[in-house]
Amino acid sequence: MLSTKFTPKNKMTKAEIDRKWWEVGDYFRRNSLWLLMYCTGCCAVELPPSMTSAYDMERLGMGPMATPRQADILLVSGYLSLKTLRRLIYTYEQMSEPKYVVALGSCPINGGIYHDSHAVINQLDQYIPVDVYVAGCMPNPESVLNGFVDLMEGIKQKTMNGWKRYHDHFEWYKENQKNSLGEVIVHDEFHQ
Amino acid sequence: MTNSINNLELVKELVSKTTTILKEENIDVQQLAFEVNTCDIHHVLSVLKSAGWKQLSYLSAVDWPDENKFEVVYILFNWDKPVYVQIRTKIDRENPSIDSILPIFPGAKYYEREAHEFFGIAFPGNPDYEKQLILEGWDDIPPLRKDFDPSAYSDRKFPSREYPQDYSVTDEKNHSLEKRAERKARAERLRTGGKKQ
Repeated sequence: MLSTKFTPKNKMTKAEIDRKWWEVGDYFRRNSLWLLMYCTGCCAVELPPSMTSAYDMERLGMGPMATPRQADILLVSGYLSLKTLRRLIYTYEQMSEPKYVVALGSCPINGGIYHDSHAVINQLDQYIPVDVYVAGCMPNPESVLNGFVDLMEGIKQKTMNGWKRYHDHFEWYKENQKNSLGEVIVHDEFHQ
Repeated sequence: MTNSINNLELVKELVSKTTTILKEENIDVQQLAFEVNTCDIHHVLSVLKSAGWKQLSYLSAVDWPDENKFEVVYILFNWDKPVYVQIRTKIDRENPSIDSILPIFPGAKYYEREAHEFFGIAFPGNPDYEKQLILEGWDDIPPLRKDFDPSAYSDRKFPSREYPQDYSVTDEKNHSLEKRAERKARAERLRTGGKKQ
């Protein structure tokens, strides 16, 4: 009911005000998404046509970002070897919230053509939460952009809450990471 | 001397003078392979290096489980005479070990580490050969041996996705169009949440 001169003003509770601000934030967020492109595999070749004049990702308000601290989307393009997954988890945990993960290609879904490899994981969402999958080997630029539009729609509908799942089921994710990777810490002789 | 036929002759003469050749293979006009005894490897490599084959292009191994042997392959290249020379030697598959060639080719350091990681061959003389290079925290037998089963390893280590329904066509009589219609209907249900649009 709208408040008039004669009725008392509607008092919003703290939770309602927070929700409103989140909606305002989500509006701006979904219209300016910054991608951190973690070009792990061959699906990365679909990104140049998506970004440049042929499909022009920037008309959706999206652009590449160089650092994980300032990016909104972690874009996993293609298969993930164990080595890459360790670095990917580092990167994901460095990103500021809210953060979204978009996985391209069939390899993060079920392993794809690398399903029986000793070095490539089969299912990405066991290790970090994935918000949007774009299937295909490789997905063409139309479906890549369609995935991003789905992501924007999902942010609007508040269904893209993978980063909350990562908080809630942190132990479960860590256990899966540990089972498959041994340890997540990177030991690199060239940087120690 | 740029004619590659002459170069092949030259290499053959050079190697046969140096050591006994167990097997010789003319792979093509620019590639030659020699199998030699394990004890002669260092001698052959140093003779070839001083003759101009100064680049070690690759060092790797081949697993022959039937013969119970590993074949170590050294590929050398000469920038003046366009011939690749492969020097091969067979070593035992049980406790495989071959002396390092670091004094001849210092760049072999990383190739030897790689061969140790993927085949388990020891290279005494190379101080770092046991350090990990590519695989991180490997916990099984070396993965490029033929008796390693990558599929079983993958099933054991990495959980794979389970699907609620199987759409693969296994029965010849069951026409794939039916399956496709079924799959489309399910996709439609998922998309619209069961509501008709």
